[in-house]
Amino acid sequence: MKDVAVVGVGMHPWGKFKDKTLNGMCRVAVEAALSDAGIAWRDVQALAAASSRFSGGKGWGLNGNDIVEEMGMTGIPVYNLSAGCAAGANAFNVGYSLVAGGVYDMVMVAGGEKMPKGFIQTSGVADTTDPEYVRQLCVGMPGPGFWALLTRRRMAEYGTTEEQLAKVAVKAHQCGKHNENARFRQEFTLKQVLESAVVSDPLRLYEICPVSDGAAAVLLCSAEAARKLTTEPVWVAGSAVATASFSDGITRGVGGMSPPGNTHHSEAKLAVAKAFEQAGLGPSDIDFVELQDNTVYYELAFPEEWGLCQPGEAESLLEAGETMPDGKLPINPSGGFLCFGEATTAQGLFQICELTWQLRGQSGPRQVPDAKVGLCQTLGLGGNGAAAVLKR
Amino acid sequence: MTDKAVPVIEGLFSDTAEGPRLLGSRCAACGTPYFPSSAVCHNPECSDSRIEEAFFGPGGTLWSCALQNYPPPPPARYDEPYEPYLLGMVDMDEGLRVMARINAADITAVEIGSRVELELDTLCKGGEGEDVITWKFKVVQP
Repeated sequence: MKDVAVVGVGMHPWGKFKDKTLNGMCRVAVEAALSDAGIAWRDVQALAAASSRFSGGKGWGLNGNDIVEEMGMTGIPVYNLSAGCAAGANAFNVGYSLVAGGVYDMVMVAGGEKMPKGFIQTSGVADTTDPEYVRQLCVGMPGPGFWALLTRRRMAEYGTTEEQLAKVAVKAHQCGKHNENARFRQEFTLKQVLESAVVSDPLRLYEICPVSDGAAAVLLCSAEAARKLTTEPVWVAGSAVATASFSDGITRGVGGMSPPGNTHHSEAKLAVAKAFEQAGLGPSDIDFVELQDNTVYYELAFPEEWGLCQPGEAESLLEAGETMPDGKLPINPSGGFLCFGEATTAQGLFQICELTWQLRGQSGPRQVPDAKVGLCQTLGLGGNGAAAVLKR
Repeated sequence: MTDKAVPVIEGLFSDTAEGPRLLGSRCAACGTPYFPSSAVCHNPECSDSRIEEAFFGPGGTLWSCALQNYPPPPPARYDEPYEPYLLGMVDMDEGLRVMARINAADITAVEIGSRVELELDTLCKGGEGEDVITWKFKVVQP
C-alpha cells in the first residue's frame, strides 16, 4: 500500500440555504479544496462522491456526476457511494484505497446535501420488507426517540444526570462558536439548554442535531504528488469502514436477538478498531477525536465503547473540562454535529477538514494544542460505520 | 363507525388461545430468534439454517424506555389530537429484543428492568373508523 496524503480541504459553510443549489455549494467546497492544494480541476483523476436519497439532480439521489458536470466534464471516473450518514467517510475510504492501491495519484472526495425540512423521515416507500418502515409504522420511533432510549439506559447504568447531558451541548457550543463553518455559533448556558423543549424525554432540543445544508471536499494524493505540492502534508494513517456485527444489541428493525452484553453500534467500534490497527496506533496515541454526536449521548458513550476512556468515566471527563480543546481528551473541537447540524453525505468529510486544519495548526481559538494525531468517526443508517486516523 | 379491528401489518402478531403472541421464526440449529419471521438464518456462525415458525410472548423485561413527546413524521400513525406515547425496547423471555410502545400512565411510572407483558392494542383509528392494532407492552411488575 502506498502512503496517502490529504493535500487540500474545503467546505461550504453549514446552514439552511434556500436560494442556493446543491451543485453550487459543492463547487464552493471543491474549489476551496483545489485552491488549498494549489492544483486545477483538470488535474483531478477521479472523484469519489458521497450520495444519499435526500438530494441530487438525477433523481437517483447521487451527486458525483453532477459535481463533474459543474466543475467541467473531464471524463474522469466517478464513484458514487451510499452509506447513509457514513457516506462521506465511505467515499473517503474509497478515495484513500484508490490512491493507496496505486490506481490514481490525485482523487477528489466530495459530499454535499440540501436536507428536506424537519426530522429525517423514511424513504416514503410503503414497503413492509423495509425494517425502518415497519419500525416507524408499527411503533413510531424516529431518531430522537431511539436516542432517548439509549440515553435513559445510560442514566440507569451510570447515573448520568440531565445536567450532565446538557453540559455536553454547552461544551459543543463553546467550541463551535469559533468555527466560521458551523451553523450555530452562539453560546448556550446550562439553563438555556435545560429549558429548551423536550423532544423525546430525556433529550431536549439543544441536545440533538437538526438537519442542515452543507458541502465538503477533500483532495487525496500519493506521497510523490504530495511532495511536489507541500512540505507539510497531513497523512492518512488509517481509513476503515465496517458494517454492524450480527450480535449487535441494536435491532435493525423491530426485533433482533437479545445480545449477551451491551454491544451497541458495533459498526462504529469495528471501524475505529480497524483504523487504529491500520495506523499502528491506539486510543492513547490520539490527541483529539471528531465523533458523530447526533445527540449528546454519543459524546459520552462512544469514547468508552472505543477504549478512549473507561466505562462510566465520560461524565467526569466532561465536568473536569477534559473534553475541551485544551483538555486530556478533546472531543469535537469543531463543535460537532450539534453546532453544524446534519448534511448527511458531507458529515464524514467536514470531519476530515477539521482534522486537517487541526493537524496543520490552523484552527484558531478552537485549536487543540500541538495536535499530531486525530481520529474521526461517522455512523450511517443500515449499520454503516466509518473511521479514519490522520497524522502530521 | 365500525368496531372492526385490523392489524397495522398482517402476519406480525396473533391473539392465540394462550393469549397475544408475536409471530416470528427461530433457527432450530443455532437458536436465533427472528421477528418479523425470516426464511433463512442470518447468523454468520450458523452453517445449518433450519428455520421453524416461532411464537414470542407474553413476558419480557424492559431494557429502556423514552417518551415520544412530539408527533412523529410519516409513516408513523396516531389519532388527533396527538398524545405523547412511551417507547420501549424489551428483552422478551425467548431471547428476542423487540421495539414497542409501552402502555403506562407516564414515564415516571416505568422503570428500566420492570417486568412487562405483551398486549395487542389500538395504534390509531383507520380511515373507516376501524381500530388499527399493533403490539405493545404493559408493565406488570415494577
